[in-house]
Amino acid sequence: MLERFLVQASTYASDIDGLINLVAVLAGFWFLLAEAMFFWLIWKFRARPGKKSQYLTGKEKHVSRWITIPHALVLVCDVFIIIGSVRVWYNVKQVLPEADSTIRIIGQQWAWTFQHPGADNELDTADDIFTVEDLHVEVEKTYHFKLESRDVLHDFSVPVFRLKQDALPGRSITGWFRPTMTGEFGIQCAEICGIGHGIMAGRIHIEDANTHAAWISSASVATTP
Amino acid sequence: MMLRNVRRIGLPLLVIGAAACDATPPPVGMARGAELYETCQPCHGAEAAGNPDIAAPAIAGLPQWYIQDQLRGFQAGYRGDHAGDLPGLRMRPMALTLNREGDVESVAEYVASLDPHFPASTLHGNAGVGAASYAVCAACHGADGLGNPDLHAPPIVQLDDWYLLNQLRNFKSGARGARPGDTWGVTMRVNSLALTDQAMQDVIAYVQTLR
Repeated sequence: MLERFLVQASTYASDIDGLINLVAVLAGFWFLLAEAMFFWLIWKFRARPGKKSQYLTGKEKHVSRWITIPHALVLVCDVFIIIGSVRVWYNVKQVLPEADSTIRIIGQQWAWTFQHPGADNELDTADDIFTVEDLHVEVEKTYHFKLESRDVLHDFSVPVFRLKQDALPGRSITGWFRPTMTGEFGIQCAEICGIGHGIMAGRIHIEDANTHAAWISSASVATTP
Repeated sequence: MMLRNVRRIGLPLLVIGAAACDATPPPVGMARGAELYETCQPCHGAEAAGNPDIAAPAIAGLPQWYIQDQLRGFQAGYRGDHAGDLPGLRMRPMALTLNREGDVESVAEYVASLDPHFPASTLHGNAGVGAASYAVCAACHGADGLGNPDLHAPPIVQLDDWYLLNQLRNFKSGARGARPGDTWGVTMRVNSLALTDQAMQDVIAYVQTLR
């Protein structure tokens, strides 16, 4: 459903969409039912000439079951949501698949800096490629990222991956993603980080193997800080 | 009664809301510049005297052409688009918000109209030693350090000493002046390559004496 509006470009994007759909369907069902009941009761017990209103304490069984039965059913739905959430959380946040490559992502007011491993595929070596605002990755490769912040809280968000991860000053947070389609997509900061937060954007370039290798070859060493 | 309240409160709110939604910017010039400067103010300060704690230099009273040059440099990526230039990375997105015709000129005109600010020295270079190195700089920036618009050389006497040091380091490392098309930056990069960090501080100390 959500992929109609925003493509799914990572292996776990469909899992997260599935969870959002599950929550939307269950919460939407109860919302619509509750609203329908609410307006039906308003209409049914509307003011009528000669009929006095009645005060309800809510203690009578035939009244209180209007609360207790839906309450129990909502809790049953919650169990399904919790099971789905734990499954997705485990797959996305607890499991760390073996990496084909590792990158470093550094947030600062108000730009993203990316450290790519270069031709040797080793991070923190002399051939690392630094870019600002543009992240280059290869499709169908698993990436670990080390997310850092130079100043305040940021949040690395790639909507097509359904990926959001807070960046905290003083910490290096490890996460992962595996792109499933080529293309150029947006990166944004999803944590208010100051006056320039709204324009703290970047781009992720998901390339096939040949294009990515060509980019690594052509990337200028002048980008090294 | 309720309808009267709606009229009394709702209509003025509607008028205020409509006025607030009026997207027509002030015409190009000082008024628009003052409005745009509100975005710069959190870092550069109300009087554009800068804030060294966040590496925001004093810009009040700098020439309009120079401010325009720098803003366009940020917009084009000559400045603030290098992983090693942290303050520049902060400035670039702000410059990109000046996206309507006349914005850059207006805010530059406004900043240029402010009373110049001559920030106090924070470095401890040897001005006597720096005087010799300054002979090279004087060709563009002038013996008095007041700059030369024809050569796009700014009045460096007016700039913070820590800012000058950061920029010389940026030029030397290639964080600035290394992009094709950055004609004037390339000149500075070439001249910065031979300077050691101490030599940079010495020449900056000499520049401070020119005020």
